[in-house]
Amino acid sequence: MPFDSLRSLRAMPLLVNQLPTGPYYGALAEFATPADLYHACERVRDAGFTRWDAHTPFPVHGLEGAMGLRRSPLPWIVLGLGLLGAALGFLLQWWVHTAAYPLVISGKPYNAWPAFIPITFEVGVLFAALGAVLGMLGLNRLPMHHHPLFRSRIFERVTDDAFFISIESWDPRFDPSATPKLLESLGARRVELLES
Amino acid sequence: MAQTEAELLDNPVAGRPTLILRSPDFHSITEVVAGPVERPAPLGWWLCFIPSLALLGLLGVAVSWLFWEGIGIWGLNVPVGWAWDITNFVFWVGIGHAGTLISAILFLFRQKWRTSINRAAEAMTIFAVICAMTFPGIHVGRVWVAYWMFPIPNQMDMWPNFRSPLLWDVFAVSVYGTVSALFWYVGLIPDLAMMRDRAKTRTRKLVYGIFALGWRGSVRQWHHYETAYLLLAALATPLVLSVHSVVSMDFAVSVVPGWHTTVFPPYFVAGAIFSGFAMVLTLMVICRKAFGLEQIITLRHFDLMAKIMLVTGTMVGYAYATEFFTAWYSGNPYEMFTFLNRALGPYAWAYWTMVTCNVISPQLFWFKRARTSIPILFALSIVINIGMWFERFVIIVTSLHRDFLPSAWDYFTPTMWDVACLLGSFGLFFTLFCLFVRFLPMVATAEVKTVLPQADPHWPAGPERETMDGRAALRARGASAPAPEGAP
Amino acid sequence: MIPERDRVALRPEQAMIPPGHAWNRIPAVGAVFALLGAVACAMLGAANPKQFFFSWLVSFLFFLSLALGALFFVLIQYAAQGGWGIVLRRIGETTFATLPVMALLFLPLLLGLRDLYEWAAPGAAEHDALLRWKAPFLNVTFFLIRAALYFGCWSLIALFYYRLSRGQDATGDPAVSARLRRLAGPAIIVLALTQTFASIDWIMSLTPHWYSTIFGVYFFAGSFVGFIALLSVVAVAMRRAGLLDTVISAEHLHDVGKLLFAFTAFWAYIAFSQFFLIWYANLPEETVWYMARLEGSWKTVSIVLMAGHFGVPFFFLMGRAVKRRGSTLAVGGAWLLAMHFLDIYWQVMPTLHPEGLRPSVLDVAALVTVGGCFVGAAGWLMRRQALVPLRDPRLAESLAFENA
Repeated sequence: MPFDSLRSLRAMPLLVNQLPTGPYYGALAEFATPADLYHACERVRDAGFTRWDAHTPFPVHGLEGAMGLRRSPLPWIVLGLGLLGAALGFLLQWWVHTAAYPLVISGKPYNAWPAFIPITFEVGVLFAALGAVLGMLGLNRLPMHHHPLFRSRIFERVTDDAFFISIESWDPRFDPSATPKLLESLGARRVELLES
Repeated sequence: MAQTEAELLDNPVAGRPTLILRSPDFHSITEVVAGPVERPAPLGWWLCFIPSLALLGLLGVAVSWLFWEGIGIWGLNVPVGWAWDITNFVFWVGIGHAGTLISAILFLFRQKWRTSINRAAEAMTIFAVICAMTFPGIHVGRVWVAYWMFPIPNQMDMWPNFRSPLLWDVFAVSVYGTVSALFWYVGLIPDLAMMRDRAKTRTRKLVYGIFALGWRGSVRQWHHYETAYLLLAALATPLVLSVHSVVSMDFAVSVVPGWHTTVFPPYFVAGAIFSGFAMVLTLMVICRKAFGLEQIITLRHFDLMAKIMLVTGTMVGYAYATEFFTAWYSGNPYEMFTFLNRALGPYAWAYWTMVTCNVISPQLFWFKRARTSIPILFALSIVINIGMWFERFVIIVTSLHRDFLPSAWDYFTPTMWDVACLLGSFGLFFTLFCLFVRFLPMVATAEVKTVLPQADPHWPAGPERETMDGRAALRARGASAPAPEGAP
Repeated sequence: MIPERDRVALRPEQAMIPPGHAWNRIPAVGAVFALLGAVACAMLGAANPKQFFFSWLVSFLFFLSLALGALFFVLIQYAAQGGWGIVLRRIGETTFATLPVMALLFLPLLLGLRDLYEWAAPGAAEHDALLRWKAPFLNVTFFLIRAALYFGCWSLIALFYYRLSRGQDATGDPAVSARLRRLAGPAIIVLALTQTFASIDWIMSLTPHWYSTIFGVYFFAGSFVGFIALLSVVAVAMRRAGLLDTVISAEHLHDVGKLLFAFTAFWAYIAFSQFFLIWYANLPEETVWYMARLEGSWKTVSIVLMAGHFGVPFFFLMGRAVKRRGSTLAVGGAWLLAMHFLDIYWQVMPTLHPEGLRPSVLDVAALVTVGGCFVGAAGWLMRRQALVPLRDPRLAESLAFENA
């Protein structure tokens, strides 16, 4: 659905640091291959968890579907900013050449709009690209240099060759003893219960 | 007869060739790429870095003298108001375009082989754009009022002329530099996180860590990240077309014969990609040897790059032919004279160098032997860049030195300061590139890992993945019966 | 071994038009339209021959550009070893296999060269220095030789690729693919050059004093958009008609939509480059062509072309969902086909009617005639062979294709 991605914006937590109240941050499970992770994610999604995430060294094809994620709202942000940038670029040129500093150049009218197109286009692309990058960083809550997961000893290999599922303790279905067992049953190589 | 996957992968007709050799696992990719950055620099690196630094120094001296004495230290004069300065500008901007093509356009075309070279190519783009921007900056004469080019209020209530292509250049090249840098940085984030996690010293961990922004490989983050990457690629594609089109318009909007011709925008873009790929090839041949990356940057990659050079070189040749025909067809005596002058006049030596290097030599790439031979690839890549530099020189100088008024005709000769600026720009470029390969992973590790067969969650064949509408129905109709005889 | 999921097989009878299917009647329908149109053309053309020749030229160029666009599409797929489009390749092959028919449809124009082209009129060069200069190129004999050369090259390449691809359906020989791939590069070069000069001969020389080096690229851009638009319409129509509905998936439509989107933007870029550079320098020898297209009602047509061929489709085809759904993609494709026709009309007609847009019944009659022949020929070809390249080595990859 085209507006699905906008709904996902509403579903995001408003507070960045919604820290758990209990003694644990959550459960972290390591998997050996993308295939193992994929099937495990499907099971975790179907088990009804909501406050969980998977971690991979590279984007794994189809994993968003396995996790049940909605489409990203980024394209709308980029389109909007792109159009805004183009409008601003055109307006600036139009204003300068018709009002602020009108000059007769090559015998053309003041509002020689074809000549405004290159800069309009460039400024539009600039705003759109900035929107894409800043939008992405915003939606990803980056920079976030400190995260409880970095305290885990096994998590270091997430940028190398290991695949993880983390289930946060403030998920309603989280249980300090049952959840790690569930993750183990899904084929995890190692499971760790992280203190908060 | 059933074929093994290995046979199939190397069968160019039915399968897809192996991209990464010797079937590595994810960890060995990390090791191969991150290793050179973590170990002390090899002697070869110093042998490249020190001379580059020296040439950079030469650039500093030349530019300082230029600012002090003025543009007269170059060989420019009426009627040739632009020569090596703008040739170098267009040359460097053109080289930058290959990086964006590899990053953005090949991404949109789903060409997985780009992952081995896109990081280095994007870095090359940024450094090439930096080199390019120095030339319009220093050639203005009164550098201290260069801020007049920007649309900021000033004490004279004066605004720049937005209808001039020279100003479109300012916007186009700076937007291009910005977007390329953003694209490059976004691609770097996961690899910076990789360097951070492997860092042995506190300084390295701190510096890589700051720039990695706390990336933790979360799939929810990858989700937005991949969307952003696709959008940036979709934006960078028309951007790269527009930038060199705008650069070509510096010439094409004028009425100078040989400059004012409608085919310039696409022709310049094709030429830019042509020369840019040649530069990427030059750099990759050196780097893969120096850093032991033959497993990741393979002969297949070079084969494909050579094919792209063949295609774009042929497009450039097509443009030459069309221009030549139209010069005759137009019946415009000035246009015809310009083309005759190019081929037979005082700059004929430059013209025929250009034709030999750009049109004749790339024809070797029709042959697979040439496309997969490192010495030929390396030699041709340099020849092509020489040819493309001469192409810009021929376009600019031959059209200017003899245009409408014979009494104003003259012959441009470069001075040692023209040469110093060009060599110095190479110094700037290679210094930056050497620093890049020293401190940053020069292969997009996360992206290369995605092209390994084991990155596919359904490899080896597991339970049926969700089928798309067509195939499910096909299966329901019982079409999963054995394939017709003879089909692989 | 290829993983099981990629072994999507196709029974030969699934890929042919079933007997009794409505599409079997296409050749007959095309022939009927062609006949009716020919009668109308003959009757109305006798009264107004000049209008007839111009209308015929427009329709001829429209359908020719679709066939040439198809040829480019298939050649590039071979050269780049593209896998996704194999299931659609036969549509392209059927389209370009009509090129010999287009050669026949070119013949009526030979009767009207003097009406169409100012330089072909006897004695034209006597009073015009520029035409005298161009006479070694712009003369009837050389024009005819070149036309024969273009059609010769096109028919040769088209029939060669058509025959070999069709032959591969029976033998499954992978060497055929390799051969066609190797020849695709030189074929593209020949196609590019012949197409450029054909557009110069047939369109640019309508205004013989005018010239533009990008004109060949402009024609190519338009023809490629036209073919991709046709491809989208035909692919969706085939699915609706129950042919290949399990073979052409939303993924393929998505890719066709992406190509349509990208080349619409490319067309706009080329069209704007040409206009912009001529507008900016304002040289009378160049602006004459655009001045004719900005006078009176032609100005309205120019604006409609800008908005309709670029503005609207650009935003329409941007969304992912639009490209993946057959109904919306086909609407976009049909719209762009109409706009491509308008583009050709706008390039040709101002020579006949400089005072303004003067639509004529002959425009419709010519379109019906040429279109009837084109559709009839394509329909006839479609019945003779499989609708997909059954034994292409990369067919499995194409069937299993999935967008990221």
